[in-house]
Amino acid sequence: MTVSQRTALGAREVTKSFPGVRALDNVSFACRPGRVHALLGENGAGKSTLVRILTGDQSPDTGTVVVDDVEVALGSPREALAHGVVPVYQELTVLPEMTVLDNVMLGQEVRRRRWLDSRRQLDVVREALERVSLGEVSPTTLAGDLSLANQQLVEIARAVVRRSPVLILDEPSAVLSGDKLEALHDVVRTIAASGTAVVYITHLLEEVHELADDVTILRDGAVVSTGPVAKYDTDRIVREMVGRQVEQVFPDPPDHGAAVMLRVSSLVPRGSDAAPVDLDVRAGEIVGLAGLVGSGRSRFLRTLAGARKRATGTVELDGDTVKASINATIDAGVVLVPEERKRDGLVLDLTVSDNTTLTSLGAVSTWGLLRTQREENAFAEERERLDIKTAGPRQLTRQLSGGNQQKIVIAKWLQVSPRVLLLDEPTRGVDIGAKNEIYRIIRELAAEGMAIVIASSELAEVVGLAHRVLVFRDGAVVGEVGRNTESSEKIMHLALGTAS
Amino acid sequence: MSAATVARPGPSLSSLVRGGGAVWVVVAVMVVWLSAVRGGGFWSTGNLAALLSGAVVLGLVALGQHIVVLTGGIDLSVGSMVTLTSLLTAVLINGYPIRTVPVVVAIVLIGALMGGINGSLVSIAGLPPFIVTLGMLYLVSGVALTVSPTPDGRVTSALTGFATSTFGPVPAPFLVLLASVVVIWALLTRTAWGRHVFAVGGDQHAARAVGIGTTSVLMRAYVVSGTLAGLAGVLLAARTAIGSPTAGTGLELSAITAVVIGGTSLLGGRGSLLGTMGGVALLSLITNSITLLQFPSTLTDLIRGLIIIAAVAVFVVKRKE
Repeated sequence: MTVSQRTALGAREVTKSFPGVRALDNVSFACRPGRVHALLGENGAGKSTLVRILTGDQSPDTGTVVVDDVEVALGSPREALAHGVVPVYQELTVLPEMTVLDNVMLGQEVRRRRWLDSRRQLDVVREALERVSLGEVSPTTLAGDLSLANQQLVEIARAVVRRSPVLILDEPSAVLSGDKLEALHDVVRTIAASGTAVVYITHLLEEVHELADDVTILRDGAVVSTGPVAKYDTDRIVREMVGRQVEQVFPDPPDHGAAVMLRVSSLVPRGSDAAPVDLDVRAGEIVGLAGLVGSGRSRFLRTLAGARKRATGTVELDGDTVKASINATIDAGVVLVPEERKRDGLVLDLTVSDNTTLTSLGAVSTWGLLRTQREENAFAEERERLDIKTAGPRQLTRQLSGGNQQKIVIAKWLQVSPRVLLLDEPTRGVDIGAKNEIYRIIRELAAEGMAIVIASSELAEVVGLAHRVLVFRDGAVVGEVGRNTESSEKIMHLALGTAS
Repeated sequence: MSAATVARPGPSLSSLVRGGGAVWVVVAVMVVWLSAVRGGGFWSTGNLAALLSGAVVLGLVALGQHIVVLTGGIDLSVGSMVTLTSLLTAVLINGYPIRTVPVVVAIVLIGALMGGINGSLVSIAGLPPFIVTLGMLYLVSGVALTVSPTPDGRVTSALTGFATSTFGPVPAPFLVLLASVVVIWALLTRTAWGRHVFAVGGDQHAARAVGIGTTSVLMRAYVVSGTLAGLAGVLLAARTAIGSPTAGTGLELSAITAVVIGGTSLLGGRGSLLGTMGGVALLSLITNSITLLQFPSTLTDLIRGLIIIAAVAVFVVKRKE
C-alpha cells in the first residue's frame, strides 16, 4: 500500500506559551489521509495544547496549522469544523439534559426547509449508534442517564455522522473497556479505511500497536520523534516519553528518621471500588505518588486530608487516630496543598497577607478583632523564609506568578505548624526557577522533620525529590520504586500496566 | 468523572417536575379548592374572562423569559419594556383610529429592537445578562418617565374592543397568547435554533465545540423576549385604554417566578414550556383568588411569597452537591 504524502492535518513549527510555561516548542507534525496517527507523551507533554490548537480552540503564538496541504488560520472550533477537522475531546461535550438523538445531531441537525426533519434525523442517529455498538440505546434516552463509557460513544457517534476528512480522538479509550473498546477500535479502523485521517491520543500502549499506523512522541512540549509504528516497540516508546536528562538536577533528599509518623491503613475513598491503600511515612521522609491522570493518586491525597469522605480505613499520627474530617485532620497537623491552586488553595482577590493568615486568624487577632500588624508580621516571616516575590503584603494574590502563588499556599499551611505536608501537583503552572525553589523548600521542610507526601504527573519531579515512590493505577497502589537510575522507566511501566 | 454519575431523585416526581407537570398539579388543587369554597363566583363567565385576560401579559413576558433562562441568562428588563411599549402605544395613537395599525407594528418592532440591544451586549460584548438587563430596566423606565411622567395618551376603540371581545368564553387577547405559545413551542422543539438554545444553556463550551454559533443563538433569544414584551405592551394598553409610566413594574419578577416554579433551571439548559405556562396559571390564580375570596389586596405579595417558596421547596429539582 502506498501512503499518500498529502498532509490531511498537521502543524508547522507551532509554539505556544502560557504565563510561566512553554506548552509547545516548535512542534511540527503531519497526519496522512487514511492513517491512524498516535500522539503520545506524558501528562503535561503538550498533547492537549496541540489538540486545542489543531481544532481552533486556541491559537498558536507562532507557526501554523495545515489542513489538506494548505496553511489555515483557525479562529474557532467552528472554523475547524468547516475545514473538516472534527474533534472528540477528552472532557466530554455530551449535554446530560438532552436526549441521545439531540446530542448526536447537535450542530449538524438535518432540516427540511427551516424545520427539523425528525424522521431522517432518527435514521441517521440509529445508523450512527449501530456503528458505535450503541444499537440497543434508545435515541430518546437522556444522555445523562447513560454510563460514562456510553456517553463517550455518543460523542464518537456525533463525529461519525460528520464523515469528515480528519478526526481527532483525545483519549477516547480512557473510560472504555472490553466490548466497548473493541467497538471503538472497529469504528476507528473503518473510518480510517474510508480515507479519513485519524489523530489518536492514548495512554494504553497496547492500543498503539493494535491501531496506529504512525507514532509521534511529545516530551516537554517538543517532538521527540515521529515515524511508522513498526519502528516503535513498547520500550522505545516509554524511553522516549520519559527522557532522562532532568534527573541530575535533584540532589539526594536528606536522611529521614526511623519512627513512623503517619500511618494510613486500608484507606478507600467513598465512591471508589479500588483496593485499599496502606502508607507509612516516617519523620523527614518524602514519599512520592506517581500514576497517570485519573489513576487515583489525587483522590487518595484528598481523602487522606479529609477533603473527601472515606469508605473505609484509618489514619494515625504518632499512634493517635485522626478523625475523617478536614478540621480534625488540620488540627492533628496534616495539611494539603491542593492540585487546583486557584480554586481550592487561594482566595485570589484577597491580599497575599490575608491569604497567608487565612488558616490562623485566631493567632493574629485579639478579642476577635484582627490585628493588621500581626498579620503583616506573620506574612513578612514567611516571605523571608520562602523567598516570596511580591510588591508588599497588600498586593492582590491574583497578580502574583504561579510559583509565588504556590508559595503563598505553602506559607498559609506553615502557619498552623503542620507535622505532615501533602502536596498535589505542587509545580503545575510554575516556571522552572520557581520550581527549583519549591523543591528546595520541600527538602528543607523534610530536613526539619516534617513527613511529606507529594503527588505529581511529572515523573522527574517525584523521582528526584522522593525517598521512594508509590505508583497508582486504577485507584490502587501497583508497586513501589526506590531511588535509583532506572526508577523513571520502572514507574512508567507500572503506571501504564506494561511492566513485565 | 464523578460529575457524570449524579444521583437523581425518585423517577416519578422528578419526571413530573422535569416535564413541567408538577406545577399543574398545584394549579388543579387550587382550582378544585376555589370551586369548593367559591364555586359560583369562580366559574362565572365574568371571573373566567378576567382570569384569562389577566394571564395574557404575564404569559407573553414569561414566554420570552423562558427562552432567555434556557440559554442560561436572565432578562430583568421585560417589565420596563412592557411599560414603555404600552405607554408609547397610547401616546402615539392618542385616539386617532388611522394610527392604530402602524403604531402596533412599530411598537412590536421597538420591542424587538430593545431585545436586540440586550442581545448584542450579552452575546457580542460578552457582558453578564443580569447586569446588562438590569441596566436596561432602569434605562427603559427612565425613557418611559421622559415620554410622560403621568398617565397619558388614549388607544382607539378598535384596540379596546379587541381587548374585551370574546370567542365563546375565551377573550381574544388570550388567543394571542395561545398562538404565541404554539409558535414558541414549535421554534423550541422543531428547529435547530431551539436545540441550540438548550445546548448553549447546558454547556456553552460544548456548544461552541460542536460548531454552534453561540452569538446568534443568544442574540435571537433576547430579540424574541423583547418582541414578546412589545406585544404584551400593546395588549396591556388595549386593556387599560390609557398609557401609564409604571404599568409593567414588577412584571420581570413575576415572569422569572413563573419560569422557576415551572421547573426550569436558572442555570440554563433544562426546562419545559408546559411548566412555565403552569407557573403563569398559578400566579394568575393566586391573584384571582385574592379578589374572589375578598382578602385585602395588601396580602397579595405575602401570599404569593409563601406559595412560591412552598412550590419551589417541593417541586424544583434540587441541586446536588
